[in-house]
Amino acid sequence: MQVAIWEVLGKRTEEDQFAVVGGLKAPDAEMALLLARETHFRHKEGVAYAVRRRGEPEVHAGTWPAEVLGGVTDRSYRRQEGYVGVGATMKRVHRQLAAKGLVIDRPRPPAGRTRSAEAERADA
Amino acid sequence: MPDEYRQAALKFIEMHANSEVMGALPEGTWIPRAPTLKRKLSLTAKVQDEVGHGQILYRVAEDLGKTREQMFDDLVNGRTKFHNVFHYPAETWGDVAYIGFLIDGAALVNQKALLDASYMPYVRAMRRICPEESLHLRHGEQLMLELVSGTAEQRDMFQDAVDRWWQPTMHFFGPPSKQKDMLIHWGIKTRTNESLRQEFFSTYVPKLWDLGVTVPDPRLAWNEEIGEWDWSEPDWDEFWRVVRGNGPMTSIRLAQRKTVWDTHAWVREVFAGMPEASAA
Repeated sequence: MQVAIWEVLGKRTEEDQFAVVGGLKAPDAEMALLLARETHFRHKEGVAYAVRRRGEPEVHAGTWPAEVLGGVTDRSYRRQEGYVGVGATMKRVHRQLAAKGLVIDRPRPPAGRTRSAEAERADA
Repeated sequence: MPDEYRQAALKFIEMHANSEVMGALPEGTWIPRAPTLKRKLSLTAKVQDEVGHGQILYRVAEDLGKTREQMFDDLVNGRTKFHNVFHYPAETWGDVAYIGFLIDGAALVNQKALLDASYMPYVRAMRRICPEESLHLRHGEQLMLELVSGTAEQRDMFQDAVDRWWQPTMHFFGPPSKQKDMLIHWGIKTRTNESLRQEFFSTYVPKLWDLGVTVPDPRLAWNEEIGEWDWSEPDWDEFWRVVRGNGPMTSIRLAQRKTVWDTHAWVREVFAGMPEASAA
């Protein structure tokens, strides 16, 4: 089965140039644009999208304007903004559990350190 | 591109794609049973993302010389592998929280290391996938916090999930890397399994402890002297049994995927038969 390969292009901001962000297979430009929108831009990753059939110069621009790309209904659960406050909740729950004496206090690496440089070198 | 490199990259990326597609199944079974509409929406979106990652990665792998049809056929017929953790059942909502927080957390540790890999089309795919995995991690963290700050039954549910999933999570990073790991040699992978596992410990174990969640490894402790974590080697025989297709859910999950693959063959045929596609 031979289905055409398309490169997916996107612009993160209006000032950006189109850049290749991935690829997909589709039988025609219309389907390629639909799949590109669903697979590469449903989290509001950019303001414009387009597809180009591999080996061909013609760019087919997506018709959905920036403000509706990624959807207009409340789908914040698809984006980081839907989870704002998780870090603060973590700290609050930790304080509550500490007050109840439930947390486990054991040695741990200093903040921001995952492993010593010596151990990394020895492993490499 | 050296053929040895191409083959190694193909095998690695194909396995990654397989894992994304199979990884949608354990959580997918909880969509109808999600406790609220909000949770149902967010879990559905997450599962959609995982399948989307599979599509993106199969596209990258295809350019290395194997068709998507062949890759999927090999997957559903048990000829190729997928990650060990997706061979296990998701028994409770606590498992959904565990998968979202700690399996996605483990995956993110692995995948962020791939942003420096040597095969640029794969790196480009990872640039697309990592932000979504980071979102999934937030989602999982929120689920986990709800349980650990809830009733005693909810806390027990999450603790039970940790107890059952910890060993598979240790397996997830793989056995200690060989002295000459070809994937690292070629830059397809950039860090050893042990380095990634240690990063996982440092990132997530303190968080679990802060919430009073225990880890079922009595030896697990930060060793200040050597600057890394001491831990117990898991049962590697089980790891090999599972990844060779003998996990508790392997045959059921493959049968699910195979059924859909077979019954939806007509969709692929329609696509391939469209005039534009024929001219390609």
